[in-house]
Amino acid sequence: MHSRRLASVTAVLVAGALALAGCAKGGGGGPAEAGGPALGPLENTAVTTIKVGTARDSAGPAPEVPGARTGGTVNMLDRDDFSHLDPGRVYVNYSAAVSALFTRRLTAYRVGDGGTITLVGDLATDPGTTTDGGRTWTFTLKNGLKWQDGTPITSADIRHSFERLFADFVTEGPDYAETWLVPDPKKPFRQQYEGPYHGKHLDSIETPDDRTVIFHLNGPHPDFNFTVAMTGYGAVPKAHDTRQKYDKRPFSSGPYKIVSHVTDKSMDLARNEYWDGTTDPIRHAYPDRFHMEFGLQAQQTTERFLADQGADRQAFTFHNAVAPERVPEVLANPEVMKRSVQGLTPFTSFYTINTSRVTDVNVRRAIVTAWPSRQLQQLQGGEVTVGRLATTVLSPTVLGYRPFDLYGKLKRPQGDPEAARRLLAEAGQPHPTIVYAYNLTPTQERMAVAIKDALGKAGFNVVAKPLATAKYYEAVGQVNNTFDVYWGGWSADWPTGSTTIQPQFDGRVITDGGQNYSHLNLPAINSAIDRADTISDPAAAGRAWAALDRQIMEEAPIVPEHYVTYFGIYGSGLGGVKLDPILGGQSALGIYVK
Amino acid sequence: MIGFLARRLAGALVILAVISVVTFCLFYAAPRDPARAFCSKVCQPETLELIRRNLGMDEPLAVQYWHWLAGIVAGRDLPGFGGCPAPCLGYSFATQEPVFGAIVDRFPVTLSLTVGAAAATLGFGVLLGMVAAWQAGRPLDRIASASSVVGASLQIYFVGPLLAFALVDTFGVLPRPAYVPFTGDPVGWFTHLLLPWAVLSIVFTANYTRMTRAQMVEQLAEDYVRTARAKGMPERVVFFRFAWRGAMIPIVTIFGVDLATLLGGAIITEQTFALHGVGELAIRAVQNSDLPMLLGVTLVGAGAIVALSVVVDVLYAVIDPRVRLG
Repeated sequence: MHSRRLASVTAVLVAGALALAGCAKGGGGGPAEAGGPALGPLENTAVTTIKVGTARDSAGPAPEVPGARTGGTVNMLDRDDFSHLDPGRVYVNYSAAVSALFTRRLTAYRVGDGGTITLVGDLATDPGTTTDGGRTWTFTLKNGLKWQDGTPITSADIRHSFERLFADFVTEGPDYAETWLVPDPKKPFRQQYEGPYHGKHLDSIETPDDRTVIFHLNGPHPDFNFTVAMTGYGAVPKAHDTRQKYDKRPFSSGPYKIVSHVTDKSMDLARNEYWDGTTDPIRHAYPDRFHMEFGLQAQQTTERFLADQGADRQAFTFHNAVAPERVPEVLANPEVMKRSVQGLTPFTSFYTINTSRVTDVNVRRAIVTAWPSRQLQQLQGGEVTVGRLATTVLSPTVLGYRPFDLYGKLKRPQGDPEAARRLLAEAGQPHPTIVYAYNLTPTQERMAVAIKDALGKAGFNVVAKPLATAKYYEAVGQVNNTFDVYWGGWSADWPTGSTTIQPQFDGRVITDGGQNYSHLNLPAINSAIDRADTISDPAAAGRAWAALDRQIMEEAPIVPEHYVTYFGIYGSGLGGVKLDPILGGQSALGIYVK
Repeated sequence: MIGFLARRLAGALVILAVISVVTFCLFYAAPRDPARAFCSKVCQPETLELIRRNLGMDEPLAVQYWHWLAGIVAGRDLPGFGGCPAPCLGYSFATQEPVFGAIVDRFPVTLSLTVGAAAATLGFGVLLGMVAAWQAGRPLDRIASASSVVGASLQIYFVGPLLAFALVDTFGVLPRPAYVPFTGDPVGWFTHLLLPWAVLSIVFTANYTRMTRAQMVEQLAEDYVRTARAKGMPERVVFFRFAWRGAMIPIVTIFGVDLATLLGGAIITEQTFALHGVGELAIRAVQNSDLPMLLGVTLVGAGAIVALSVVVDVLYAVIDPRVRLG
């Protein structure tokens, strides 16, 4: 049997030469943050590594941010209030970003300089251990962990945090662990356990002492330690679990606690005096307070960051990007670029090809080959606004990612009608009819025209089918839908291939409303997914997912569109602002007031 | 008068009931499943069913409506969330708060915005209109008329950011628009709302200028005005006591409707200046498929229109003694 911890020591993987986060300039003050000339396109040149860390990596405190100072108030300006604060109900990245300030998990990601992402123990002393290929996972809690009232965080709290996810009011969060912690993963998990509020515990979670938690999963899940890094598996104190009301006022295990929250208006955080920085490898907690304001559109925050006046000098945003119409102005201003954050997010976008209707692989390949990727990118605002052209299923932010371009999309991003025509001739269908379904918006209307034009040159007869926005996902999510090509997007829940490839390309999970929109169902790919899912060595698993990525793209079930990027700015009075490559926005963990 | 008010009140309740039924039905007719908003990324059918049950959507539509209606009078008990005291306009599962409380919380913002903007609009609009009518055909009239055409052509979402950029971000002569409670800091309340008031009044004043001018010019040509002049009344008296009164009736009517619309939520203005009023609440309710909140905000808006239309009817009698109530 293989120890995940031992394997992790050597499991440093180069995720891609053209990858993410190190490109995130920002912070201001440090040499790397000084900002060079404003170059316009994204500088995604840093080599990124993703690795599973060690106990040493998991020890606190977090490495100092050069030049950082303690104290002051950081302001946060954004469009929306956080949809949920109960960790069990958090799935949206935006809510996860703020939760990191007051909710700790068993594991978390430490983002280092140069874009290195390390999975470390957050509450746990290390990123977890397994000795049976991922069926049994053991986590040991650090010494000195306390809730905001000074009481210790115990293994009973962790068990309760997982058990309460089965309650009927927790419906918005992820359900990976719930499915793996019940005896039968094929039956609805709530039919097998009703939650802890009726006095029963899950048999599959053991707490032999106050600091040890052992998870017995119903199958091998070698990246379970990545799973529990999701905010959805954050710690909730058994003694202060207010059930439905917990969503309004969670109890802090992190460096800050909520002191006021007016829905849709504002939220204020102050220090949690019981948080001990020596237990925390990822949070610095330099500011004394955070003041957050909601209801500001991207246009408004861009305006305020550019004006850089008063309290806005100490303001950042978790999510709001630079408004597309102001991007050229920002790129042309070296002073503003010094306080910009840019880079790849875990999001990818693509056009799904319905393989149950477009059954000939050569026709699908012809669609990919003829696709006008560059025109569509420009219609959506260009590379800085929407992202780099994609050629793979996996994002460069995923462990094991290997770049490839099977259909020459980077050489001929405008589409290659000649090559597509040859593929159609091979298929014996020189003029196939393709139904392209799209969201009825002005931009999508223009994109549909470009698609019709480009595919038309290759010989396709494209029937454009506009769908009402409110109905779009429901319509394309039907297994027997009547469309051949439709847009979609995905974000890996954790940076391994399993949460991207399995839900989208495992042919055994095709259902109405499911995520396998292409309906690809090939035994070779299904069994390769099963094999990759059980590889416990992260490096080997990464290679297996990358191989599957290529294998899937050979079947052309999607036209990859973009590796989605984030481009935002913040006030000049802040330092330590970085891109969060896991959540795809600005991170508050190392932020400080200059 | 009492009989008139009683009849109008009964009529208002019927109108509000009809509006609530229509909103309720339209919401469910919309091609969007509100339960989806509470389901995770990979939404299992059994989870979707559970959410529908949690939201009370598994009951027949009429039963759901009856529960909502009864809550207004008697309040409701919401398992897991606590009580929702009367008048319970419902409980928003999206924002997790009673609808009535959310509206009450945001109403001072909308009221402040409305009161200031209405005062400026009516004051400047009527004044300019009267000046234009007084100077009809002369340069001052042409200037007032032309500027009212320009003002009426402008849009809040254009003028608002433009003035904010100039007066707040560039020259810093005004503070960033925000709501400061009047009771805590009256000066702050005034200065922080000055820009939104100005923008709203720029756009709305134009209509009142044009309308007042047209009405005044028309009234000044009426027989009774000619008679007053023939009897030797001073022009000031003719203008203000006779013509002005006659001109005010349609202006009061329109003003009542505008005021009610603003009270129901100055949606664009609140969005433009990030003011957290009832209008912003309405936008979020639509975005979140939040039926209870949507119903509550719609009813408040409708209630404001109905209430102000009664006030306008009463004002008719004050302005024009020929109008009798009852």
